[in-house]
Order: sequence, then C-alpha cells, then structure tokens
Amino acid sequence: MASPEPAASRPDSTRTGPGRVLIAVYAIFALSASARAGVQIATKFGHAPVAYLLSAFAAVVYILATVTLAIGSPTARRIAVLSCSVELAGVLAVGTWSIADPATFPDATVWSGYGSGYGFVPLVLPVLGLLWLRRWARR
Amino acid sequence: MSPVNGVVPTTIIAAGLALAGYALLMTALNRRMGAGLLAALGVLEILLLVLVGIVVARLADGARPAGLATLIGYLIAMPLVPVIAGFWGALERSRWGPAVIAVAGLVAAVLMIRLHEIWPAIRV
Repeated sequence: MASPEPAASRPDSTRTGPGRVLIAVYAIFALSASARAGVQIATKFGHAPVAYLLSAFAAVVYILATVTLAIGSPTARRIAVLSCSVELAGVLAVGTWSIADPATFPDATVWSGYGSGYGFVPLVLPVLGLLWLRRWARR
Repeated sequence: MSPVNGVVPTTIIAAGLALAGYALLMTALNRRMGAGLLAALGVLEILLLVLVGIVVARLADGARPAGLATLIGYLIAMPLVPVIAGFWGALERSRWGPAVIAVAGLVAAVLMIRLHEIWPAIRV
C-alpha cells in the first residue's frame, strides 16, 4: 500500500508510532487501577486486604510503565522492561492464585482471572510492551 | 425516571463504538489525524458532558448510588477521555494517531457500561 507519509512511518522514540497507542492504554490502566485501589483501601480495606494491596501494586507497576515508555531514554527503557516483566509475572501469578484460592479474593483485582474483568487486556498489554521495547533494544 | 435518561447513555455507547470503528478504518488506510476524527471526538465529548449534567442533576435531586466515590471518579474521568486522547493523538504524525482515538472511543463505551453497573438509575 502506498504510504502518504513514508518519513513518519519510522518512529523515533518509544512514545511515537505504535508506542503512542501502547502508552494511551497503559495510562488508562494506571488511572483506573489507582482510582480503584484508592477507593477500595479508603472505604473497605478489611473486606479483601490481599486483593486491594495487589490492586495498589498493579497501579504502581502501570504508572511506572506509562511514565518510562513516555520518556523513552535508555535508562527509562530498562525500567520499562522491568515493569512490563513484573506486570506479566504479576498477571500470571495473581491470575492463577485467584482461580486456585478464590477465598483470598472476595473482591476482584485488575489481575484476577488473568484480567478477565478487563477483557484480558492486562494479559496482552505486558506482552505487547515487551515486544515494543525489544524492537528498541535491537538498534 | 424519564425514559430520556436512557437515550444519552445508549447514544454514548453507539457513538464510542462508531468512533472506534471510524478511527480504526483510518489507521488501516494509513491516514493520520484529520478534522473528521477531531469533529467526531467533539461530538462524543458533548454527549459525555450532557451525561455528566444528567447524573449531577439526579445527585442534586437527592438520589445516591451505593458507590458514590466511584461515581464521582467516573464523572471526572469520562469527559477527560476524549480531550486527552485528542491531544495525545494529534501529537502523532502517523496512522497511530487515529488508533489512539479508537482506544478513546472504546474506553468511553466501556466506562458508560460500567457507570450503569455502578448506578442502574442511569439507564442504558
């Protein structure tokens, strides 16, 4: 297909090109996980402490990934790789834990059931993040 | 409860999904951000502001949902989605600008459905 802007098709930072969309989705999860954890911990912490602390942890990981992907410097990219890896490990571990031991999770976290409450986006997002960052590591 | 309350949320869901489809088509056609997408985003923004007005009016009438804090969070976040997505997408000079707008359209539709779950008084 003929491209109307061949020069612009080559992203010059992790925040341009497909990274622009990735950061947008990360920002949404950073905001919604923070707000969710904040409200839950402030209003009913005793109801499901493990779930709410994990929600707060997920929020921190999402904020870190959003900011470091948007900065895009070599140091920021290393931190982004780490956050995306922790995120992937987290969604797999919490997803498995929530299915194996539902009693610990009377209320859901972002990562419960591998992110099933969020259309499994939490499972796909770290994979896309790591693939995007790998493209930059190879340069 | 007037049935008119159901029209705005339903329109928001339809408009969000239509915007996402239109924006993804632009991405597939390798177009960058244009006036058409920004205008469609503006329509979604107006609909969201009308929704916030309806919800605030119900709160002013004395009605209260179970999760008031969450509801207020949604009322603040929802109108910001098209605005932030518009700026973030306009910064992008490739096909991925419209893709950002597609995300905003989908998010608006999903938030609308979630808002209805928080407070079923807002009819879908």
